[in-house]
Amino acid sequence: MDAQTDWNALSPMRLWRDWIIKNEAQWSETVSQMLKDERAGPTLNRQLSEMQLLQRQFSELAQASLAAANLPSRTDFEALDERMGRLEDGLAQVAAALSQLSAAISVWAQAGGADTPAALPQRPARNRRPAAKARG
Amino acid sequence: MNLGNPVQLALERMGLPAADFAAMAGPLGVTPKDTIHAQGTLKLHHFRPQCDSVYRTPVLIVTSLVNQPYILDLVPGQSMVEHLLRQGYDVYMIEWGRPRREHRHLTLEDHVLDRLPACVDQVLKHSGQRELSIIGYCIGGLLSVLWAALQAGDPAPAGRVRPLKNLVCMATPVNSDGLESLKAWMGEHFDEEALLAEHGNVPADWVQNALRALRPLGKVAGAMNLLNQADQEEVVRSNLRMGKWETDNIPFPGGVFRQMVRDFMRGNALVQGRWSLGGRRVDLGAIHAPFLHLLAQDDHITPYASSRDLVQRVGSSDKTELILKGGHVGLVAGRGAQTRMWPALDAWLAPRSV
Repeated sequence: MDAQTDWNALSPMRLWRDWIIKNEAQWSETVSQMLKDERAGPTLNRQLSEMQLLQRQFSELAQASLAAANLPSRTDFEALDERMGRLEDGLAQVAAALSQLSAAISVWAQAGGADTPAALPQRPARNRRPAAKARG
Repeated sequence: MNLGNPVQLALERMGLPAADFAAMAGPLGVTPKDTIHAQGTLKLHHFRPQCDSVYRTPVLIVTSLVNQPYILDLVPGQSMVEHLLRQGYDVYMIEWGRPRREHRHLTLEDHVLDRLPACVDQVLKHSGQRELSIIGYCIGGLLSVLWAALQAGDPAPAGRVRPLKNLVCMATPVNSDGLESLKAWMGEHFDEEALLAEHGNVPADWVQNALRALRPLGKVAGAMNLLNQADQEEVVRSNLRMGKWETDNIPFPGGVFRQMVRDFMRGNALVQGRWSLGGRRVDLGAIHAPFLHLLAQDDHITPYASSRDLVQRVGSSDKTELILKGGHVGLVAGRGAQTRMWPALDAWLAPRSV
């Protein structure tokens, strides 16, 4: 063990961190037990609803200010995200169609339809057997 | 006395400039793959085989709806997918994608009776096989179980065998009485309609906070643990990868969330044999395929009380439950997964994949 490691192991911050790590499971369990109480649910949900309302009000306020400053709002970014998502889905469909075409050509070529072009993936044989130790 | 940013100080001790902090996690989910099918936000990936010969039965991984699927393919050396490929499996994976507001009406029926069967068909067509194994993780396991139970009740397609050869679930909840915190929170007083009216889908940060609330101080302890090991570069990198994944949740599709709260969480309809999808009752006893349930001993997201019923209720004669050390995520992606879960999965699946 080198000097640096020794110093680390004895440092008050390290001891404090170790204490937190050691006790975390117990603390988390205590908090979890509190959350399991049937009174905790309604309280938590009320707070969530209030937070949601606050968030909506803030968002509406911010949107007006951003529009006045000619800046994009969260809604604009979300709309952009939706459009990007649709583009990504479209690209995935094109990729899937190309992949299926490549697979069909590969199958045709392997069946003797033509000399297999080097770029086409060769399918591995489906005859693998488990190693003796894996049997059970 | 230097009171700088502890993360920056830790990086400097490691000889790394703070600018490299974001890059340290590296790109995630990089095992070579092709997208062979896409439907809406869903993508079905086929991972390129890494062996000269593969097992006859392809494997379809069904991931969770609320987490990014790359937890099963973090980086080379820390990837369940890579492990399966190296053991000689032909691996496919469903990525459900990030639902947008237009997808707020998607229900469990859309996933279990339409999208998942379409992916099964695509895997069979692409692999040229008549059967496949399914590995479902967390809610992905629940979707797999619902599909497996419903397809087992269908008459077998003419001249064909039933497609499900093996079913593996990992940390899959089936009994909501075991999810005490979530159940207390989402009881009758919980207004899911207000949430869905506001957002359409359940926002990703809401999902993240709900999961964090299940172990409220876990993040603090994790940070302390990281600081204690800040001089071990690989530990820091691994932690950053996990941290990146943990904060990269996916919105919960509104329609599915509504069903999960009402039928699964409050009604506990699955274990009570009262859950219907598309007008058909889900009977876990109808599942007769060989079945394996892999569970984590310290799983705070899917506690044992919520998952133990599954192995008891499936109708398979060949069924196994394995409880391994670790937590919900460590089960599939941690160092423990590498030494315990992946080998156990391979040992069970290999002889059943020929």
